[in-house]
Amino acid sequence: MAGPHPPTDGDLLPILHVDMDAFFVAVELLDQPELRGRPVVVGGSGGRGVVAAASYEARAHGVFSAMPSEQARRLCPHAVFLPGRYARYSEVSAAVFEVFHSYTPLVEGISLDEAFLDVSGAHRLFGTSPEIAASLRTSVLEEVGLTCSVGVAPRKLTAKLASEAAKPRASLAGTVRGSGVHVVTEADELGFLHALPVRALWGVGPATAARLARLAVRTIGDLADVPLPTLERTLGAGVGRHLHDLAWARDHRRVVPVHVAKSIGHEETYAHDHVSHETLDRELVRLSDATATRLRAAGVAGRTVQVKIRFGDHRTITRSVTVPEALDTGTALARLARPLLLGEDVSEGVRLLGVSVSQLAPSAERQLSLEDAGPSSWADATRAIDEVRGRYGAASIVPATLVDRGRGPRVKVRGDQQWGPDQGRAET
Amino acid sequence: MELRCERDVLVEALATAGRATASRGGSLPVLGGVRAQLEGDRLFLTGTDLDLTIADAITVAGLEDGVAVLPGRLTVDIVRALEPGAVHLNTSGEEAKIASGRSQFSVRLLPADDFPRLADAATEEVTLDAAGLADALRQVVRAASHDDARPILTGVLMAAEGDGLRLVATDSYRLALRDLRGASVLSEGQSVLVPSRALGELTRLLSGADTVTLRLGQRDATFEIGDTRLTTRLIEGEFPNYRQLISGSQANQLTIGREPLLDAIRRVRLLARESTPVRLSLRSDGVELSAVMQDVGQAQEDLDAKYEGAELVIAFNPEYLADGIEALAGDEVSFEIIDALKRVVLRSPESEDYLYLLMPVRVS
Repeated sequence: MAGPHPPTDGDLLPILHVDMDAFFVAVELLDQPELRGRPVVVGGSGGRGVVAAASYEARAHGVFSAMPSEQARRLCPHAVFLPGRYARYSEVSAAVFEVFHSYTPLVEGISLDEAFLDVSGAHRLFGTSPEIAASLRTSVLEEVGLTCSVGVAPRKLTAKLASEAAKPRASLAGTVRGSGVHVVTEADELGFLHALPVRALWGVGPATAARLARLAVRTIGDLADVPLPTLERTLGAGVGRHLHDLAWARDHRRVVPVHVAKSIGHEETYAHDHVSHETLDRELVRLSDATATRLRAAGVAGRTVQVKIRFGDHRTITRSVTVPEALDTGTALARLARPLLLGEDVSEGVRLLGVSVSQLAPSAERQLSLEDAGPSSWADATRAIDEVRGRYGAASIVPATLVDRGRGPRVKVRGDQQWGPDQGRAET
Repeated sequence: MELRCERDVLVEALATAGRATASRGGSLPVLGGVRAQLEGDRLFLTGTDLDLTIADAITVAGLEDGVAVLPGRLTVDIVRALEPGAVHLNTSGEEAKIASGRSQFSVRLLPADDFPRLADAATEEVTLDAAGLADALRQVVRAASHDDARPILTGVLMAAEGDGLRLVATDSYRLALRDLRGASVLSEGQSVLVPSRALGELTRLLSGADTVTLRLGQRDATFEIGDTRLTTRLIEGEFPNYRQLISGSQANQLTIGREPLLDAIRRVRLLARESTPVRLSLRSDGVELSAVMQDVGQAQEDLDAKYEGAELVIAFNPEYLADGIEALAGDEVSFEIIDALKRVVLRSPESEDYLYLLMPVRVS
């Protein structure tokens, strides 16, 4: 559970990183206990779906998240494939976060199944940080029925890496239980960090790792030994300095209770490539509308609209535009997104389209428009739409372009298609 | 076609016509070119992107008449880079040779037959004072939208108003209006919508000119300044009804020195990046200008002013605010303010001909 130097009284270790074990799969097993012990894969079932989560039994066969579902099927044909139920996962996640909040108000959710907790104010009530970590694991198991792994460390950087070290491991002989809690003290911190592969660091992807490999950097310790100027030359000044700091455990990010999104958006992978601007335009309106609804629900508006296009050959481009007024209506987003899409040649086929909004600000601060002065402005109409949707559901009002003749309106719901299109879904 | 011409004269004319060429190749590559036609000693240069056309004529030493379409940007860059002195231009077949001193370039021509045939300008013409029009355009064009998704707002309304011409532009956040008295260009009730991009180009051409001749057709407008002619397609559609916005109450009235206010905005803007709003706190004894930039800091400045009305705080996009104040003439600016969420009208107490209407930023 702890490194060579057990925590002393001076070790406050304020940060906990809690990561649910195989969360989506664990929720499915909770609801269908008969699947326990079998390889289970949650994710898109269509030809282009990706794995969202795999049970440790499936992981033992080499299945991991973000892998194409097709490949997972080849590796582990006897696995149970489940489509994923985002709404249910949100519900369970809320229950888990409630447990977190019973220890400290300083909870920063990273995703449904992962959060940072600052417990520096909780010691008098609940004991030392390692004690809190153990108690929290027990509470989550008792109250929600799920297991999690907890990293305890002086900083976010090492807490996150520590929770990874506490995780169960998959093996063909069965799941190897993890320690559940891994504590990294001030004295152990650099030793722990430097032994890890450089890929474990946030922000080191395949491209950066390849460049670092040319400097013979394999571990974070190797990285720490590279002189800063060399690193800045190799990776650019910003990234170079950033990674140098991380390698020396210099991470001053605090736990920010309410996770403030930098961007909000929606994207969708299609079962068949779309080649006509007309079809894509309809999709764009749908995605814009869904994005706007989420913006308004979050009480923010954004000034930068980005369109993401992935072509049939996986080449991905993004195009964005920034306007003076922060926007939160589907009409406004689609109006800005449309020329970005029209400017691209889509004849080779588009497999994924996305719309997102960034430069977010609380929507209370808004450049007013002369249209606001008019009697029937778009802003008013949009507010009315949200009220109707709140009462009658997302499909009750949609832009006219989204109504398929004979099939009724198609609306983007969060989590719907999160991991690629379903099999039976016919695309127009 | 063969000619000789002084480098500077040729560069200027090529660049003028080149400003109307299509910036991106698009579907018609020839629109990236400048058409050159030599008749005796007159060289006519034309660039167009179909919406905007600029034609210029210069006197050269003509050696052989002819027509060719030169690659616009490249030719301008080449000629500009040559040593000062005479430039020799010679086109034959698909190639143009550009030579000066010991430099020699040959560039491939664009197919002259593809160059669009341009409509003749309307015959009826009106002459306007160039400086007056340039001043009005400077005040109004700034308020037009650059958002191509809203074509109507990218235009400037030119409408008959009383015995004069009224120019109006809005991007829906602010609106600028200028009356040019005595300039009767349009008949009563008539109005046209002219792309602001064309008027921006026109403003450049107007500098130094005495007069400008305007010819209005059904679908386009032509401005002639000396030997240079600018033709623009008109925008079709209905301009928003702005009259209801400029009429109405003037509950609170602020009068403040123009330069001190502009200077204060410039200072506060050091902190207020992009569109961080600047707040005006209005009290009977003066105005406080402030901006708060999250995680960076804040700025604040007190200004002398005359204010009659209820104490209130109103916030603006600093760029839009400065734009309006800059456009006003005179030493003082007056603000007509209803409340923190309604349009504000900026005027100069010295002149009734111009107003700038601005929507505030809602804060908190």
